[in-house]
Amino acid sequence: MVEALGRKLILVGQEVHDFASLLVSAFWSSLTPPFRLRETLQQLSFVAWESAPVVLLSVSFAAAVTIMEASFHMKIVVQNDSLVPGFAALLILRELGVVVTALLVTSRVGAGYAAEVGSMQITEQVEALKMLGIHPIRYLLVPRLYASILGLMILTVVANMVCIYVAMLVSQWSLGYSSGSFLMAMRAFVGLQDLLFSVIKAGVFGAVIPIYSIFFGLRCRAGAEGVGLATTSAVVATSVTIIILDFILSYIFSFFY
Amino acid sequence: MKAEFKVGLMFIAAVAMTVAFAYSLGAINPFARTYDLNLAYNFAGGIEVGSPVRVMGIRVGRVKEIRFVPDQKMPTGEEVKLRITVSIDKEAWPTVTEDSRFYINLAGVIGEKFIEITPGSSSAPIFRPGALVRGEDPPRIDQLISQSYGLAGKIVEFVEQNEGSIIDTIDTINKLVVNLNQVLKQIEKTTDNKEIMEMLTNLNRISADVAYFTKAMRSKEAEETVLLLKELLWRLKPLDQKAIRKFLQQEGIRARLF
Repeated sequence: MVEALGRKLILVGQEVHDFASLLVSAFWSSLTPPFRLRETLQQLSFVAWESAPVVLLSVSFAAAVTIMEASFHMKIVVQNDSLVPGFAALLILRELGVVVTALLVTSRVGAGYAAEVGSMQITEQVEALKMLGIHPIRYLLVPRLYASILGLMILTVVANMVCIYVAMLVSQWSLGYSSGSFLMAMRAFVGLQDLLFSVIKAGVFGAVIPIYSIFFGLRCRAGAEGVGLATTSAVVATSVTIIILDFILSYIFSFFY
Repeated sequence: MKAEFKVGLMFIAAVAMTVAFAYSLGAINPFARTYDLNLAYNFAGGIEVGSPVRVMGIRVGRVKEIRFVPDQKMPTGEEVKLRITVSIDKEAWPTVTEDSRFYINLAGVIGEKFIEITPGSSSAPIFRPGALVRGEDPPRIDQLISQSYGLAGKIVEFVEQNEGSIIDTIDTINKLVVNLNQVLKQIEKTTDNKEIMEMLTNLNRISADVAYFTKAMRSKEAEETVLLLKELLWRLKPLDQKAIRKFLQQEGIRARLF
């Protein structure tokens, strides 16, 4: 039994060591040339442009639900929903826009990266890269890391703005607030720093996605089952990490108000 | 479409949206047409940077900066340590004159604080931009509460000292109310009476008639007549029967007096 425990601990230690060395190596190679700009741009297009439709569609509905739910709750609690535009906008900017976007990008881009790198691993393409003297982290991770960070930042800004616009339309149609009164109520609560903080969050989440995906992709075991497992693990780990990091970052940002 | 174009488009869209958002929040405003005014307060009760500034209730600007100036003195010699810089739209600027007053007010369900400017008279000169003006310090709620505590204490003291007489007074008032109630009931009964109703109707008619007459009496002619009559009576008073008879006979009137 003690032996089993020891074996487990060694395995966990091994994984932690692998992950830490991946982080260090990613950090080092992301700061030193060559940067593979063309590949980065291609990935950026994959992350930002191609994710945009699904992200914007989803956050639009999320915004509509936020407004209507907030109004429903406020009417129950204080019989008045005149503050709803303000704090729904605040909720959208501080949490909804960035977290929903990051989770959607995780399920789309993160899963794609994990499967891609996983199949490269099992078909020994990664080994081939190593043989050619190309560092797989530098070759595979760095362009995706930059693309994911930048792409998620851009997507978050666009998603936030679309979200607020949809919230404005919904509050106009369903609650009867004019766009002017929506903006006035929003001004009472929202500052430019809210958008800034959500972009910072987006950058952090954007870094998490490719790191996990490539970590699990590189550890992929042979077979279609292995690729599936790597993809699932990557998406689950990324989603959980994003939600935990969201809490930590929100807590840190609360000191800046 | 090339990847470069897609990425560039997304980036430009994000930047443009951020700028539009900042503009709609009032954080940046390149087309600002405002003047600044410095207001001095000793207590500014919850004003923050970005709080609205209103003239006659209309939003015309916002609080730009709040600074502590320990050695700030007004021309009158008063020490006022807080300086609040507000920006006011050029359109509203002429309504803010040197006899305007600057209050700190609150509005709305959330109690948003804002600076309310009363319009000055048009004859007073308008400010030059950046002038320093003394604002009206808002009443401090905490002071009000402590004062009302004092007042409440005094009331309690008074009541305790005069407990007996207050009870007597209340007792008397109680009796009075009972009596009044009875009187009112009596009156209610009597107004049901038919004769009294008739009497009231008659009274009404009489008063209308009297009003008609007195209206006529109030004319200038009537006044003159009364004065004349009075004069005549005064002249007649010292005369005795004989003289009156003689007077009447002279006038050709035959009368049998007394």
